[in-house]
Amino acid sequence: MTYSSFFYSEILAVFRRKQDVVNALVFFLLVITLFPLGVSPSKEFLQPAAGGIIWCAVALAVLMSVEGMFKEDFNDGSLEQLVVSGLYLPILVLLKLLVQWVSVIIPLLVLTPILSQMLFINWEILWVLVLTLLIGSPALFLIGTIGAALTVSLRRGAVLMLLIILPFYLPVIIFSTGAIAAAQVGQPYNGQLAILAAISLITLTLSPIMAAVSIKASVN
Amino acid sequence: MHPNLELSISGLFIERADRVLCDNFSCQVSAGEIARIMGENGAGKSTLLKIIAGVLQPLEGKIMFAGEDISYHRDILQKELLYLGHHAGIKAVFSAAENLSWYCPTKSKDAIEEALTEVGLGGYLDTPAHQLSAGQQRRIALARLWLTDKKVWLLDEPFTALDVKGVAVLEQRLKQHLDKGGMIILTTHQSLDDSLNIKEIKLTS
Repeated sequence: MTYSSFFYSEILAVFRRKQDVVNALVFFLLVITLFPLGVSPSKEFLQPAAGGIIWCAVALAVLMSVEGMFKEDFNDGSLEQLVVSGLYLPILVLLKLLVQWVSVIIPLLVLTPILSQMLFINWEILWVLVLTLLIGSPALFLIGTIGAALTVSLRRGAVLMLLIILPFYLPVIIFSTGAIAAAQVGQPYNGQLAILAAISLITLTLSPIMAAVSIKASVN
Repeated sequence: MHPNLELSISGLFIERADRVLCDNFSCQVSAGEIARIMGENGAGKSTLLKIIAGVLQPLEGKIMFAGEDISYHRDILQKELLYLGHHAGIKAVFSAAENLSWYCPTKSKDAIEEALTEVGLGGYLDTPAHQLSAGQQRRIALARLWLTDKKVWLLDEPFTALDVKGVAVLEQRLKQHLDKGGMIILTTHQSLDDSLNIKEIKLTS
């Protein structure tokens, strides 16, 4: 086993399990459609709320796709094989995560312009929204990985993982919706974006290592 | 031959779920030797293999490999290690050949086909693993033994779900590996061919 063969096998696995990605996307779509239908379809409500609605839906969709990330590998023993492969586990985690991120975030970015029309987001704000998604979503994935690795050996770990991980999503959601809100009233939003980038970078350095430690504690 | 290739364990203490599995356990296996861990069900045979492989860490004890202390970092051993646990990491969504090419990326497609033919899965190259039976999935994992260049094999119950012919083929392969100076540690309840010259390691607390 090498890093590259592991990477290709992960890409292949994502292609074979397209339904996981599709599930997360359909979930994302449905959550967003609920707001115009359930609260109010008026522009006065939707336009200021749009950033928050999209970001909450993204956070939940990401949680859904990350939650089962190690489950199958744990059950069929591949996780154990990764631990004894002699390769550096945090890098393997990072490679796996990269594949997950690309497979979820690209379809999300494709859907966002369509949804933003429904929520009365104009093109300038859409650009800010896309930026926050690109810069902020790695943090969501990276934080989620720790939770997924911690709970992988538990039979009903999904709810526990949600409880552990969601509080850590709050800063990301606050600053990305903050950036969108600032852009909507014509204020500079660079500061919020910089903080999002900082959160993503910090989690990038910490999370693979913490996830690797949790995986080692889980396989036994 | 690798004269240095020697695995020695000393003073090992294993506890699992508040139960002492072994205390001050020692053993030694050198190149060209096959060792079989003996013990009842639940005696900790699999746990011992996992500890050697580095899936688990022992509470106490020292593990030496090729003259180096690997008690804390198994890197040196893991470069030479092939470990097959109860679940050997066969991905259900991959075909038999894909399962092997992921695991042994340096091997050609022909070599993989040959290995699969060897374990009696010649016609199942492109069949997804989830469509195969438990015994056939086990055989995919065992086909790795025909592809690997690793010196140290840790096999946890390699003979389960194999038929008589499969057992004979596998025994043949184990013998080949030993002749080439490899090292094997396994657990099994199957009685094996005497010509293998098995060293028995008793695991009792």
